[in-house]
Amino acid sequence: MRANSCAAINVEVVEQEDGFTVIVLADGLGSGVKASILSTLTSKIISTMLAAGLSIEKCVETIAATLPVDSMRGVAYSTFTIIRLIRNQTAELIQYDNPQVIVLRNGENWEYPRTETTIGGKQIFRSLIRLQEDDVFIAMSDGCPHAGIGIAYNFGWKREDIITFMEAMSLCGYTAKNLSTLLVDECNKLYGGEPGDDATSCVVRVRKRVPMNMLFGPPSNRDDGSRMMSLFFAKEGKHIICGGTTSSIAAKWLNRPLRASLDFTGGIPPIAYLEGVDLVTEGVITVNRVVEYAKDYIGENKQYEAWSNGKDGASLISRLLFEEATDINFYVGKAINPAHQNPNLPINFNIKMNLVQELSEALKKMGKRIKVSYF
Amino acid sequence: MKVTVCIGSSCHIKGSRPVVEKLQELIAQENLNDKIELSGTFCMGKCQQGVGVTVDGTFFSVSPGTVSSFFEKEMKASV
Repeated sequence: MRANSCAAINVEVVEQEDGFTVIVLADGLGSGVKASILSTLTSKIISTMLAAGLSIEKCVETIAATLPVDSMRGVAYSTFTIIRLIRNQTAELIQYDNPQVIVLRNGENWEYPRTETTIGGKQIFRSLIRLQEDDVFIAMSDGCPHAGIGIAYNFGWKREDIITFMEAMSLCGYTAKNLSTLLVDECNKLYGGEPGDDATSCVVRVRKRVPMNMLFGPPSNRDDGSRMMSLFFAKEGKHIICGGTTSSIAAKWLNRPLRASLDFTGGIPPIAYLEGVDLVTEGVITVNRVVEYAKDYIGENKQYEAWSNGKDGASLISRLLFEEATDINFYVGKAINPAHQNPNLPINFNIKMNLVQELSEALKKMGKRIKVSYF
Repeated sequence: MKVTVCIGSSCHIKGSRPVVEKLQELIAQENLNDKIELSGTFCMGKCQQGVGVTVDGTFFSVSPGTVSSFFEKEMKASV
């Protein structure tokens, strides 16, 4: 799940150890700093209090008592949408004045039951939903349905049309992050590149855990090669090997030929083929590109088009790690390649270790579980 | 004739891409596609002498600047 957040709207995600995740999207009244403070306070208060096990009634009371009152309008006001995931089995939706959360089940819009309650004079809709694999929850600010008012559409981007748009997208296997990027980008297009209102969306997608394993670099002690290989290949899930020497060691261990291709697409070294391994690439240059893509993906997500279709090693790794995997095991060899210590080359041992560090940090921010073992 | 070009990190930085592209071009130009098998390999272990190229197992150090004369001398002449 990911969010794109602008000034007046704030998205908070709090994950707890006991299997609860609280996601709050809050939209403050007005614009600018004041609205930003309202939405930040609202989302922080709700996520912190719910995570601490307090009731929604208490949260709303606290917000009403805490939010600064707008001097012009005389009210303290911020809308909110809460998605609380309970032990990955149930989702509780609590919605106040934001566009209604869209739920896609089996690729189609599902009008889930909602119960109306009034808390502190606020009309709040609550729902409890049993999760199914591939369910997609789309929360958004009113900047989304308002998109294109007076430009592309007379009355903005209608809910039914947003649903049709997202239904089609949800079937293409996009991640939650990319679904929210697609939605917000479409809003910006409808606004003609100049948003009249902040368009923010937060998408949650329910999916099975997918393990993945990546081997990078030969072990510092030559004798550890076969131990490293047997641990790596014993793991469940797909196997990626990065590095020329590393893949040669793997080829020897598997007793299979390593065939390198000569396809230099994307400006990085070609990939290779080895029976029993899902993907074999060159090392430092390729992984460096993956780190670049990973940082962009958790940030502005501008380079998505480069790696989503590319056939080069970095694009292939990015798709496997960012889109497919949920649990990634890194097997990192700390051997120093003497050829890389040449001062004329822009690669060295420290860079390699940093790459692993940066990549695993970025992947953690994507919500993945990461384990790194050094050899 | 089997010609293998190293496409490891080090040789990549030293220009294996232009070397491969030039060889592909020259092979096509001389109509030697059915006589020469051009392939890639990861690290040959001779990074200092890159770009590493082997012709039927014999190692040569080639650079984007010397690839044309290398082709004439070591490949075209002995095909």
